[in-house]
Amino acid sequence: MKDVFLKKLALVTFGLAITGSGFAGASKEPMSAEQLRNGLVRFALANNELAPVLNSASRLEGPSADFLRAQLLLASGRTEDAISELKAVIDGDYHRADAALLLGKTLLHYQDPEAQQWLELAVRVGGRETGSEAGFYLAELHRSNGHSEKAGQVLGGLAAGYWAAVGYMNLASDYAREDLNAVRALVSLRVALAMAEQDPEVSRRKVLTGRLLVRAGYLALQNNDYDKAISFLEGVSLDGDNNLTAQALYFHGLALSKKGSSRAAMQSWHRAKKYPLAYPGVADSWIGMGRGYDLSGYLGQSGEAYLAATAALESERVTLRNLAEQIREGGAYNTLLAKARDTGVEWFLADHRIKTQPRIAYLHELLQEPEAQKAVSRVAELDAVGSELEREARDLDVFIRSLKSQLTTLSRQKPDVVGGLLSTQRFLHKELSALSAQPLSAIQRARLDAVAETLAETSTDLTTFGRSVQNQPLELERLLAEARSLKSSTERLYGQVQVLRREADRQLDELALEFVSEQDRRMVLVQDKAEQQIAHLYEYLAVSKMEGREP
Amino acid sequence: MFGAQKDRKAVKTRRLTAVVLLFAVSACVTSLSRASELDSRIEALKSQVHEHSANVFALQQSILHPANTRLAVFLTLGAGDTLELDSVELYLDGEPVASHLYSARELRSLDNGGVQQLFTGNLSSGEHELKTVVSAQAANDHFVRRESVYRFTKRPGPFRIQMSLDAQAPDFEPRVVFHEWK
Repeated sequence: MKDVFLKKLALVTFGLAITGSGFAGASKEPMSAEQLRNGLVRFALANNELAPVLNSASRLEGPSADFLRAQLLLASGRTEDAISELKAVIDGDYHRADAALLLGKTLLHYQDPEAQQWLELAVRVGGRETGSEAGFYLAELHRSNGHSEKAGQVLGGLAAGYWAAVGYMNLASDYAREDLNAVRALVSLRVALAMAEQDPEVSRRKVLTGRLLVRAGYLALQNNDYDKAISFLEGVSLDGDNNLTAQALYFHGLALSKKGSSRAAMQSWHRAKKYPLAYPGVADSWIGMGRGYDLSGYLGQSGEAYLAATAALESERVTLRNLAEQIREGGAYNTLLAKARDTGVEWFLADHRIKTQPRIAYLHELLQEPEAQKAVSRVAELDAVGSELEREARDLDVFIRSLKSQLTTLSRQKPDVVGGLLSTQRFLHKELSALSAQPLSAIQRARLDAVAETLAETSTDLTTFGRSVQNQPLELERLLAEARSLKSSTERLYGQVQVLRREADRQLDELALEFVSEQDRRMVLVQDKAEQQIAHLYEYLAVSKMEGREP
Repeated sequence: MFGAQKDRKAVKTRRLTAVVLLFAVSACVTSLSRASELDSRIEALKSQVHEHSANVFALQQSILHPANTRLAVFLTLGAGDTLELDSVELYLDGEPVASHLYSARELRSLDNGGVQQLFTGNLSSGEHELKTVVSAQAANDHFVRRESVYRFTKRPGPFRIQMSLDAQAPDFEPRVVFHEWK
């Protein structure tokens, strides 16, 4: 954070030196109507509250207008129109790279082969950030088509930073899958680590670096290069409350164990055991403890450790069965997400909860999968749309009641509503003239001038108001009819949202249940291993006893 | 004999594997196409809902905030990117009327010329007081909470106030500049 601010500070100082008083003047000038409209759309796109600005999309002006309009169309679900608008922006003079990147990403989402040409354009004409992001997506496109070499060439041309680092990380996964040895994959991960260092966003960099180090550690371990694995894994932060730390601790213990340091390995596994069994590596760490005691010659403790592992795994299987039951009854979204969000007064314990609640740990694991992310975001989006429509229906109910009551009041009111107000106006004007005739100080004169100005405006308003009062019942009737029609379309749309919500819920439930049963299978596998180890141990003890030697 | 049997068995196993794989792939493709079909339907509905919400918003504005008494307060950030805005609270004649906690995305948008409509409400003509409390982190890493008060006279007709937030070197003290649009 400090680095970022120092950079900002330097930039500002530099900017001041160049622009002089221009900078100070910038904030003193009020916005133009064009800046206001564009600015409101820009902010609405950031906080996703599009309703207030959607109707002003056609009135946007200036160099950024078309690009903002395209983004607005895309965010409001009018993808076809947005694509045409983005193509028009690319043909224009402004925001070409940003538009090409957005178009490329949108087409990539729909698996349209045209995506490639727009991403290539964005790489060519884009600045550092836009070009790098476009390059990453282009490399991903090549990777998904099985062209790792091409992906590598694209990544080679990118500026160091987050996007290049993620690109090299994904490339390393391909190399690890394709190659017989881990050299190419490790080189890619080293490059990714170097690239990630240039990412100015601290939290993002930290998570990515941790992920890269765990992968590099695992690959080195697979390659029997234990010292290298240990050096990578020791770089992973122990502050993390996520699955990375637990996984890193398990691999670290494994590397130490392979090197013959069982005691040191057990220290790492002991730490990993503190994490939920949902995280990869934790269940194996439980078994690792038994193995560690065994190798150190403490057979009694080894047996106890294996028994503790089977008990923990059995208990976890009960948790998983309960979780599956809850998902079947209440749906995955409610079980895993809605309840997890409800932190109540214990919000400050949120970090601690992540480490202790199996439900949240499993949610964390489930959300590592892109398909699960999509399924959850679908339900969340429909949930938000449904809530918004419910709110609108409530508001429209209130409006309808209020408009009806206004119409009733108006029908009972005397026709000359304005007459009384006009006579008060005349009286006030007289009072003002009388006061103005008095000897007054400059301050008093200024105050009276302000009052006179308000009074003059009120007079004009009253005259027009008199006319509009006559038209008011008609206007209220029109608003009432509009409110009623909107209420009925709200109900219709709410019904459609609910249909889609049920379908999205069903898909998420399927994914979550499959995930939970996969976790159960994993637990059974580890439990079997632990039980086998216990059997071996007892066998060894029995044989030793039979042969009359010390175990 | 056993060799031929073995071969037949191997062919059978391969066929079985191929069928299983085919089923697995087709199940995966079906689930993917089901998901993408659902995505298209959600997208189409989203577009209808957004259009509808814009109409509801317009109706709400015309009913709740008649043009004559309308007051709108907008927030912008001054040039320079020297202020990490945390929250803004707005008081009108001593009453809290709006507050906002900023996300990183919203801050980026404000830095790039975004304008936030912080408050829309109704106000009678005459003198009023607008107080704003800004909590932010300045470029010199200091956390600051500053109050600014602005007195104005509301006249009949729509009335808009622009609040421009700035913090300039060397002290990076947050300043709020108010502009009236009549």
